[in-house]
Amino acid sequence: MASFEQLGIQPVAISADTPEEASAMVSKAGLTFPVLSDRNAEAVRHYDLLAPKAGLEGRDISAAAEFLIDSSGTVRWRKMSEAGAAQFLAAAKLLP
Amino acid sequence: MDSRRRNWTLWAGFLLSLIALLIYVLGFQITRSVFWLSAALFVVAVWLLVSGFKRARREPELYRGRRAGPILATLSVVLVALFGFMTVMVTKYFPAAANAPKVGSRAPEFALLNTSSSPVTLGQLLSGSALPGNASGSARGPRGILLVFYRGYW
Repeated sequence: MASFEQLGIQPVAISADTPEEASAMVSKAGLTFPVLSDRNAEAVRHYDLLAPKAGLEGRDISAAAEFLIDSSGTVRWRKMSEAGAAQFLAAAKLLP
Repeated sequence: MDSRRRNWTLWAGFLLSLIALLIYVLGFQITRSVFWLSAALFVVAVWLLVSGFKRARREPELYRGRRAGPILATLSVVLVALFGFMTVMVTKYFPAAANAPKVGSRAPEFALLNTSSSPVTLGQLLSGSALPGNASGSARGPRGILLVFYRGYW
């Protein structure tokens, strides 16, 4: 499987975490690509990925999704949130 | 040997609620957009259970199910409750995102802070000027950007 570098694709992660929280994750996971903070969930809203109050302490967070964007800014591929059984398992883990 | 008839209505109700839940869970990406279908299956299941239970009580000499009735009904109520709970939970944590940018459309622009608290725009990422080492602008931009939205702390 070719690496992102070989393919000429730059991964960029975005979440509603603060830059400090994102920084902690970058250090912990040893990430080498940019991790951006969308604290007010503005970009998350523009991409229609808002999960209102679904985060810690009722914070607005992003749903999980990936978009491959070409150099002209056009979406060429996307993968929306986990499908079917995976979503059920994740929801089941939330059961009291 | 119990010569009474098996109470099929009762069993059908229970099995239908089980099947409805399985279909809802396993076919979620489809069933979430035809939610009314899953709800209708559960309504039918509940109706079958109630009918079956009533029949067992009315004609205990003809139909079995005086004991199985409450057990199956309880199990089915649990299934229906599970269905209801899952609907609420999944809708909250896994929004439908029906208006997310589709393939072929323009990716919405943004300006967000990186881990050094410096602003970064989509335009900068696409041109390659947002990356360390490319400040001089002499390097070519990437062929593409993979934008990965993740949940973060939740």
